[in-house]
Amino acid sequence: MTKLAVQDLHLSYSDNAILKGVSMALQQGEVVSLLGPSGSGKTTLLRAVAGLEVPHRGTILIEDKPVFDGSKKFEVAAEKRNLGLVFQSYALWPHKTVFDNVAYGLKLRSVPSSEIKQRVDSALQNLGLGHLGDRLPHQLSGGQQQRVAIARALVYNPPVILMDEPLSNLDAKLREEARAWLRELILKMQLSALVVTHDQNEAMAMSDRILLLNNGVIEQQGTPQEMYGRPQTLFAADFMGSNNRIEGTVSEVRNGATLLAGEGWTLWGESRGAAKASGSKATAMIRLERVRVAEGPGENRVRLPLVTSMYLGDKWEYLFHLGEMRLRAYGREALSTGEQWLEIPKNDLWVF
Amino acid sequence: MRASLPRVSVIGLASLAVFLPLGLIFYQSMLNAPFFMPSKTIGAGAFEFIFADSDFWDSFKNSLVIAGGMVIIAVPLGGILAFLMVRTDLPGRQWIEPLLLIPVFVSPMVLAFGYVVSAGPVGFYSVSAKQILGGVPWNVYSLTSIAIIAGLTHVPHVYLYSSSALKSLGSDVEEAARMTGSSPFQVARDVSLPMVTPSLLFSGVLVFFLGFEIFGLPLVLGDPEGHLVLATYLYKLTNKLGTPSYHLMAAVAVCIVGVTFPLVMLQRHLLKNAGKYVTVKGKAGRQRPLPLGQWRWVAAAIVALWLFLTIIVPLSGIALRAFVSQWGEGIKLSEVLTLDHFRTVFEQPTLVRGIVNTVLIGVVGGALAVACYTAVGLTTHRRNDGWARFVDYLVLVPRAVPGLLAGLAFLWVFLFFPPLAPLRGTIFSVWLAYTVVWLAYGMRLVSSSLLQVGPELEEAARSVGATRGQVNRHVTLPLIRFGLLASWLLVFMIFEREYSTGVYLLGPGTEVIGSLLVSLWSTGGADMVAALSLINVVLVAAGLTIALRFGVNLHD
Amino acid sequence: MRHLQKAMLGALLTLAVFAPILAHAQAPAGYPANYADTIAAAKKEGKVVIYSTTDTASANPLIKDFQSLYPGISVEYNDMNSTELYNRFISERAAGGGSADVLWSSSMDLQIKLVNDGNALAYASPELPHVPNWASWKNEAFGTTYEPIAIVFNKRLLSGDEIPQSHADMIRVFTQKTEKVKGKVTTYDIEKSGVGFMLITQDSKQNPAFWDFVKALGAAGPRFQSSSGTMMERISSGENVLGFNIFSSYALLRAKKDPGIGVVYPKDYTLVMSRVMFASKSAKNPNAAKLWIDYILSKRGQTIIANQAELGSIRADVEGDQTLAGLTKTLGATLKPIPVGPELLSFLDQTKRLEFLKHWQQAIKGSK
Repeated sequence: MTKLAVQDLHLSYSDNAILKGVSMALQQGEVVSLLGPSGSGKTTLLRAVAGLEVPHRGTILIEDKPVFDGSKKFEVAAEKRNLGLVFQSYALWPHKTVFDNVAYGLKLRSVPSSEIKQRVDSALQNLGLGHLGDRLPHQLSGGQQQRVAIARALVYNPPVILMDEPLSNLDAKLREEARAWLRELILKMQLSALVVTHDQNEAMAMSDRILLLNNGVIEQQGTPQEMYGRPQTLFAADFMGSNNRIEGTVSEVRNGATLLAGEGWTLWGESRGAAKASGSKATAMIRLERVRVAEGPGENRVRLPLVTSMYLGDKWEYLFHLGEMRLRAYGREALSTGEQWLEIPKNDLWVF
Repeated sequence: MRASLPRVSVIGLASLAVFLPLGLIFYQSMLNAPFFMPSKTIGAGAFEFIFADSDFWDSFKNSLVIAGGMVIIAVPLGGILAFLMVRTDLPGRQWIEPLLLIPVFVSPMVLAFGYVVSAGPVGFYSVSAKQILGGVPWNVYSLTSIAIIAGLTHVPHVYLYSSSALKSLGSDVEEAARMTGSSPFQVARDVSLPMVTPSLLFSGVLVFFLGFEIFGLPLVLGDPEGHLVLATYLYKLTNKLGTPSYHLMAAVAVCIVGVTFPLVMLQRHLLKNAGKYVTVKGKAGRQRPLPLGQWRWVAAAIVALWLFLTIIVPLSGIALRAFVSQWGEGIKLSEVLTLDHFRTVFEQPTLVRGIVNTVLIGVVGGALAVACYTAVGLTTHRRNDGWARFVDYLVLVPRAVPGLLAGLAFLWVFLFFPPLAPLRGTIFSVWLAYTVVWLAYGMRLVSSSLLQVGPELEEAARSVGATRGQVNRHVTLPLIRFGLLASWLLVFMIFEREYSTGVYLLGPGTEVIGSLLVSLWSTGGADMVAALSLINVVLVAAGLTIALRFGVNLHD
Repeated sequence: MRHLQKAMLGALLTLAVFAPILAHAQAPAGYPANYADTIAAAKKEGKVVIYSTTDTASANPLIKDFQSLYPGISVEYNDMNSTELYNRFISERAAGGGSADVLWSSSMDLQIKLVNDGNALAYASPELPHVPNWASWKNEAFGTTYEPIAIVFNKRLLSGDEIPQSHADMIRVFTQKTEKVKGKVTTYDIEKSGVGFMLITQDSKQNPAFWDFVKALGAAGPRFQSSSGTMMERISSGENVLGFNIFSSYALLRAKKDPGIGVVYPKDYTLVMSRVMFASKSAKNPNAAKLWIDYILSKRGQTIIANQAELGSIRADVEGDQTLAGLTKTLGATLKPIPVGPELLSFLDQTKRLEFLKHWQQAIKGSK
């Protein structure tokens, strides 16, 4: 069943248009990430679904029941939407214990107190917080607070759980562990989740589908593999992964391949996006990991001087630079400065 | 926009409480006789009279000067004091705080009288100055002095609002400024105080209003040289034509209220353009006091100077007057000390009842008033719609009406509106009058506490299913309980010294300390007035210190 | 101490006079036979509501005594200033709500106006023969005290011929002793104070050289105040050295505690004012009101007024310095009581009043 459906949503703050026509759907058991740079509207979209922001056009349906319809000026208040929302800052009530924080939603639903105790205890257990029920929020670590916030959002079994940057407040080490754990929790509890994040690695690790927002519209949506492997626009390509950008002029177009030319070099690449006319300017992208240091000259290879090598622990990153061409690549060992041949596989070079 | 029933009913009740007395005043200003006289006719006669009266324009000009002076003095000083007390490591902060609030709970007339005894032409500081310097270099009766004293005594009002706002700032913004090389005062001027602009703006507007309304100070200090302000002009109007001329008084009040609207509009405009100021996150940054270093002594000097001019000078005057049988030119103090005045005060038959009534109305009435202010404050909390705008104007208007006329207006409300008539003569009528007149003051105290609650905490409650009412009850109010306590304390102090607003509604059995003071004053018992005031100050200061010791923070 | 002895003496005298009557708890001697009915009706009413400008502390002895004379009738005594009294009464009467039974105010002209506007109950008090003719009007308004208006000066700073003995003498002091008094003469601001205005208009009637007096006053740089309390405070401290048109009752009270205050009764004429009392036509307790009025005008009540409330007795048969009897002995014909009657209304006419004020301002300023 479609747990959440958003259709052509428009939202503005005074005269600033934030969402300019966004549509999406979330199915049962799916985790969908809203990804994008700051200002793209992803948090606004999440808050609009929650009912904390009011769009002026479009519809929102939860489990096929409308909660917002711009054409009829119909709006269900946030407190009636029965969604779970985990805030970026956790927003735990400082005057309530952990137990009371989690129990509050059940109390509002007039659940009898014996049942409240049982459900809250079980929620806390599930999240590894069993022994912390009597603590106050300020006595918990960041990670523990995050889990309380999640428990609070889940305890009344909402159809969809909304998360606003759930991992951004954790330190780097914790973040990696947490994203695995969060994915596991979501799968175990068969939740449908809409997650806002600015970190594409996080999005790819946790989600079944990614919605990439750019300036209030959806640039592209798809599975992580689609988003990473087959970006349809320059923006989408650039946002995911670590990339090299090569500017040049289109010299020839043939069968889905484009020949890009620059000062003293030409490279074949895969045509992406709109068709390019010969002679027009184009930008090409290739992922860092696809560039290979080669032994010598060959097809689609360029010769560039090495500026520096950076040790990353599991690999080296090389920086090559000449004129307007700047390329970074990975490799297994240190390289001495001097000129190297770099292979740019033509299927991995996307020309937009 | 939808407005829920509780919200609309609170706003409706508040509007009724404000518009009934105000409406009567407006109506009265358009008549030529008391509105309850059958002989009245409608006309602009009242306005014609006052506009043709040079006294009106003089007093208007003087009021403007004083109100302006008050803003110029009280806002920067209040802001700086708040900064020093809240954000820095100023030495002695704990005991300075209750002292700072003394001008709030001492009757302005008594304070003015203290200045006369200390610094008047034959005041004891002046007499010493004459001996040392050969002359008295100051004149408490000049318009400038009145404006300065008024400004200094209103510093606590600005202090209260700015200090709550400053409490919610994270230290990081100030530390960033220190890193670029700013001294503590530059930090205050360029970072901290600008970030609490809404509070400063609001208290500036409030102080400007209070400037139009002040009565006791200009009565005592303005009479000798004949400086009139609008409130003492109103007082004059009660006698100038022989019988009190309500229509003229009402016309003056209408003019003052007319000044309200542009001011509130200006304030709203300035706040809108200033964009978002301090927003409190769910996790407030840790607060570390800014070390003053060598600036400590400058800061201490500023505080000490203000304390001296605003508290020590008048209070020492009052204290002295309470203990001497006569004072002034040619008197050796040691020869005239006496405890007689205190004895006489304690013999006053209504003293004990007056004290009990005052405490009751302050404690119980104050708590009820804070509850009402909270209800009104919640109607504008986190909203910026038409209703919120309306409430903004609504709350400031009653304070624009001078106490002299407000008291009369409330008498009329309780006399001429059948549903309310049976309540006249009960303490409820007095309470209602006080609560309405101080609406702006009290509601803003509560609002600034409300603003300290992170919006996310309320949104989180809504996301788990709490209605707005439940959010208020379960999340917002518990989080501001210290702010509410502090508001209660302050409203207590205000109610405790109030008099003119309830004067027509009081009776035997409901008299309060304020009425006792005025009664003693009118028979020339300035010595007993001083003694009673001193007792009053000591009582309230003691109560305040105890409350602060017991952990009631004036801000949490 | 002296105070207490005087009170005891007064009480003994009273008892001695009234003992036979008290024994019967009935109408006092000389009262109509049906007075007992009035008393009975008043007791049924149970209380009397008074609005008064006399402060509670001074009125207390009267209230206590009245209550001991008529147990069962409680006195609800509201003290307020004369403007508040006027405002409150007319508003309450217009609304038909409960208001005062008796009004007692030192603002003579406002009281006469209220009576003239038909607010008073006509009552021929049995005590009327004992009060002077000028002290009552139409059996509706009654003068109840005898308070001369005096000149007050600072004893430390003025001596000998610097102290004016009369109104004419004040002109001399203003013009010849200018260094001593310049900027230090005080009196009521007649625009702000109704009582002050009334006294000055009475001066204009009694003083043949009134406008010369005003011009001389203006030249001396007067400091106008709005209440006698502030005036005396400033005279005592030496900020001002001389004041006129001050109630001697307040001044003498003050002078008891304060050796700096000196009081002079002007020898050319001394105005005497009297606090006016009337019962409201719409009084809820009219009989109790009558009892109160009779009590205040009775010898018993007047003795207390003279000796304990220290307001001066208006009856010729009450002994003491501060009584009509005592003062007539010392000052005789120079005493000019302000009559309780409709002449007080003339300056309540707006045009006439403003005219006078304009003339006054010109005279005060013109001399500068």
